[in-house]
Amino acid sequence: MSLAPQDKLSRSPIYRQLAELGAEFAEVAGMACAMGFGGGLEAEVEQAKSLAICDLSALPRAGFKGREAQSWPAAQGLVISPDNNMSLVQDDGALVARLADSEVLILSDLACESGLCAAITQAWSPDPDPGVYPVPRGHTNCWFMISGGHADALFAKLCGVDLRPHKFPLGAIAQTSMARLNGIVIRADLGRADVGGTLAYHLLTDSASAGYMWMCLLDAMAEWGGAPVGLTALREMDT
Amino acid sequence: MSSARLPAPAGALIDREQPVEFSFEGRRHAGFAGDTIASALMANGELVLSRSFKYHRPRGVLTGCGQDANSLVQIGDQTNVLADRRAIEAGMVVEAQNVFGGLENDYGAWLGYLARFMPVGFYYKAFYKSYSPWRLWEKLFRRLTGLGVVNPDAVHGYYDKQYLFTDVAVIGGGPAGMAAALQAAKSGCEVILVEENKTLGGALNYARFDADPKPAAKRRADLIAKIERTDNIRVLTDALCNGWFTDNWLPLFQGNRMFKLRAAAVIVATGSYEQPMVFRNNDLPGIMMGSAAQRMIRLYGVRPGKRAVVVAANGDGYGVALDLLDAGVDVACVVDPRPAAKPCERQNAVALRGVPIIHETAIAEALPASGNRGVVGARIARITGEGQLAKTVDRFACDLIAVSVGYHGTANLIHHARGKMSYDDAQAAFVIDELPAHLFAAGSVNGAYSLNAALDDGHRAGWAAAKDAGFDAGRKPASKSKDSGASPNYPWPIFAHPDGKDFVDFDEDLQTADILNAIAEGYDNIELLKRFSTVGMGPSQGRHSSLPSVRIAAKATGKTVNQTGTTTSRPPFSAETFGHLAGRSFEPVRLTAIHNRHLEAGAKLMVAGQWLRPEYYGDPATREANIRAEIMAVRKNVGIIDVSTLGGIEVHGPDAAEFLNRIYTFAYLKQPVGRARYVLMTDQSGVITDDGVACRFHDNHFYVTATTGGAAAVYQTMLFYNAQWRLDVCVINSTASYAGVNIAGPKARDVLARLCDDVALDGEALPYMGVREGHVAGIAARIIRIGFVGELGYEIHVPSSQGEALWDALMAAGEPENIKPFGIEAQRVLRLEKGHIIINQDTDGLTHPHEADMAWALARKKPYFVGMRSIAIQHANGIERKLVGFTLVEPDDPAPKECHLVIRGAEITGRVTSCAHSETLNKVIGLAYVAPDQSEIGNRFEIKIEQGRMIAAEVVALPFYDPDGKRQEL
Repeated sequence: MSLAPQDKLSRSPIYRQLAELGAEFAEVAGMACAMGFGGGLEAEVEQAKSLAICDLSALPRAGFKGREAQSWPAAQGLVISPDNNMSLVQDDGALVARLADSEVLILSDLACESGLCAAITQAWSPDPDPGVYPVPRGHTNCWFMISGGHADALFAKLCGVDLRPHKFPLGAIAQTSMARLNGIVIRADLGRADVGGTLAYHLLTDSASAGYMWMCLLDAMAEWGGAPVGLTALREMDT
Repeated sequence: MSSARLPAPAGALIDREQPVEFSFEGRRHAGFAGDTIASALMANGELVLSRSFKYHRPRGVLTGCGQDANSLVQIGDQTNVLADRRAIEAGMVVEAQNVFGGLENDYGAWLGYLARFMPVGFYYKAFYKSYSPWRLWEKLFRRLTGLGVVNPDAVHGYYDKQYLFTDVAVIGGGPAGMAAALQAAKSGCEVILVEENKTLGGALNYARFDADPKPAAKRRADLIAKIERTDNIRVLTDALCNGWFTDNWLPLFQGNRMFKLRAAAVIVATGSYEQPMVFRNNDLPGIMMGSAAQRMIRLYGVRPGKRAVVVAANGDGYGVALDLLDAGVDVACVVDPRPAAKPCERQNAVALRGVPIIHETAIAEALPASGNRGVVGARIARITGEGQLAKTVDRFACDLIAVSVGYHGTANLIHHARGKMSYDDAQAAFVIDELPAHLFAAGSVNGAYSLNAALDDGHRAGWAAAKDAGFDAGRKPASKSKDSGASPNYPWPIFAHPDGKDFVDFDEDLQTADILNAIAEGYDNIELLKRFSTVGMGPSQGRHSSLPSVRIAAKATGKTVNQTGTTTSRPPFSAETFGHLAGRSFEPVRLTAIHNRHLEAGAKLMVAGQWLRPEYYGDPATREANIRAEIMAVRKNVGIIDVSTLGGIEVHGPDAAEFLNRIYTFAYLKQPVGRARYVLMTDQSGVITDDGVACRFHDNHFYVTATTGGAAAVYQTMLFYNAQWRLDVCVINSTASYAGVNIAGPKARDVLARLCDDVALDGEALPYMGVREGHVAGIAARIIRIGFVGELGYEIHVPSSQGEALWDALMAAGEPENIKPFGIEAQRVLRLEKGHIIINQDTDGLTHPHEADMAWALARKKPYFVGMRSIAIQHANGIERKLVGFTLVEPDDPAPKECHLVIRGAEITGRVTSCAHSETLNKVIGLAYVAPDQSEIGNRFEIKIEQGRMIAAEVVALPFYDPDGKRQEL
């Protein structure tokens, strides 16, 4: 039986919209996460290969900002890109995004097997002053994944940055305007490229505008028959 | 099949298997799928599409491709639809515009009889004095002017926008454009080829380049096939490029979508506008460009007339004559203004078919059918000089006059990009002198008129553009054309007639005499001529009037065309709808985590910045009672308000306290951990810009609140200043990270205590302005003991994903006390009772702290804060107004409204900023600016309210309620 989102203290900002679409919820990291929409795993995987959106707001994420935003996380064992606006996948599947010299963003893997976000948050202490400080990304931003062969065309309806795969490489980050909101876009294809991975992007934007952004994305993807999918389908594709 | 319909293969765009019925002016018509409104009407013998703007003269097809205003019609709510571009659809209802009593019997035509009383610019001379009949004239003009009728209740359409990116953009899918696209694509770059018509081909779709039409048709098919096989060329047809903007940003309109295309290099291959000839009655239906006649025949299978006179000043005109003959039109003669010379192949072919060719002649006058609804003949005369004709030589009966006397490059995009052009007398055309970087031109717009020359030019431009975009384009393609390069443009196709009706500008009904009269009146500069006469200002924006008017102006003023110049062409190239510009109208809205609980509780929402917040709860019919009930709940019991929208900013680092000390007016270096302190922000000029509280959770960590509308600006201000100060701080905008509620009222502690195990809430453990971190209902929380509304109160900030759960828990815990949510309106009154100001309500763009009686928030001993020096100067100069609290002398007087003025004699000395009836105090209270000498407690002053009524107010001490602060410090 599907978990009721209101049974948990932490709730996705769009849980009502997901419920109206027939989402089946299960607990992920203390929040009810939409795992599927009743159409079956195979159908949702096919959808995700064409064009789909998944609410990842339940998954752990963390941010750190300050003058030591590169050195301190590196000292905790994170592998960080030498270039700004690039991300690297860690050994445990987490994604570390270098947003600027003074800021990093850490996203959990889809399977939530990485404990990196929790570990690094626990490792931080204000004393002695570490020169880097936590950014509450888990609540400041909502987090969606958009996947499928039409994903770049979808973004072209919302964003002026060229996100086509041959112009926006795997791991690249765009901090830009998306439907008139500030957004962080990270290319993070599902599965392995050498065996026909699926084009996919993380999108993080203002959590208070999550409902607005969700509607913008659904409206924009209707042209290609895009639809929401649950986390289960993305996990299946990311193995 | 109607009598004007031609059999296949004529009609490349129509599908004879799909008949379509529509109506025009209430009459049913039939056509085929692929017909435009104009082609279907012409096939049915209807030549009149519209009435001209000023004289309401009947007008018909002129260009046949949407480059003139004759074809503007209305379809339902859509005004100004181009009938020669819009395809017919089943059931379509088409109406004429700018007609009174219908297109057929437009009684606006009587204006034509008043033409002599409406010379050019007459309105400037008639309507410039203050004059009582203006009201009547205005009503009349509103009826007479305008094209189309807007329906203000029209349903919004669905429009869309999409970004496109490419290496090379080619605008124009004719021979030059196709050649350019293919050449550029050879280098491997991405090419987007944009064509405004439904198919590629351009002039190859309708023109007759040779006596035998087959070679050109094969060339067309080959080019299109090659393009379709080339993977790195993306073709957009039925797509209009409507302008050029900086860095090769191009708006393309296709259907209901606007593409925003960014290209590294752009090739303009947009072709040319065929130009009219000026003669008496040159505007009648049945007089059209030669290319329009060819479009009707080849694209739509419509014979444009039965008997034609063709004006041919170039080989293309003879091609028109050949097409008309092949379509079964009786060509009475070809009128060729040029002296006889060695004929081209097409001219020979016409002559071989027995058509008389009369050289060095022009049309002096077209003979109108009844009501000017068509043509019945043409009078031609020998040309005796530039623009001069001998007495009439001959009269030919005809119902069609097809004109091919030259071209004017479709160079609009080049002008938008500030390309330089000049008039070349030998070419009798404007030619490109200089193009800006990353922009190229090809084809007839670049003076390459013949097919071979256009193809060569396209290859050259494609090669150059690919190279410019950074690709290896190989060797420059060699020119293959051996064309003579003779100009197809007749230098002076303007033959004024003493009786007028020789139109230079069809849109504005301007005749040659109008242009000359404007110049004679002194408007001899081309910019003044345009604005005084309105030449070129109509819907077709000078496509056909620009050349003749500048030629006439040059001759009249004794200058060359280059010396005369042209007016500036700016985007848009063609009309564009507001729907396209708006797209899907992204309007972000921010909702708190508790938003849905407000809706469930019956909240009436209001806009606060980008947020929606509850104004009050309950039935709008009982708004005032609802707000009073919310106020009393807080004063007597316990209320709860969602304050999630307030800004939240984390300031971390060893210099955090020093940073706040400089940013805000108060003192923060010694603020203890666990305490909150008021923050007041001023700008460099000392003006109050924001306020809030700073909570110190650690020596190196402050959590600072800001107003809902000011949060983003406060964050930016902090970043701006620290970019200069370089203090060791890190500023993080955490506004959306936290949901916040304020639970306030004498029973607030009782309710909160049920949910809070790890923070002692009594007055000693958590005094007024204390802050703690703990848990409420199991949720990690920041608890701030605060009193904006003047009662015992706590602001609780939790991670936003848990905000709804917090609200639910507090509402459940407060049930025994009948906890009540309250909204902004109740909060406004509650804080007013405590005399607390609201930034941007009780302050304005000039208010400094001394005026607002906020001197208590200025730290006296610190060396610097933003605005300190300005405030000191203002204080030394003395204040000019002061914010005071007031009540009404007569309790039953109506409450003044915000911005009602404080008046003393003839002087305005201030204004009301906040005012409300206080249920708690049972009287009207308010805040107002008054003159300093009016600000003493007990002083009376007057406020001017509605209807000019003056009421008396009295200055009282603040706060109005609980002056000792006992209730908030429980």
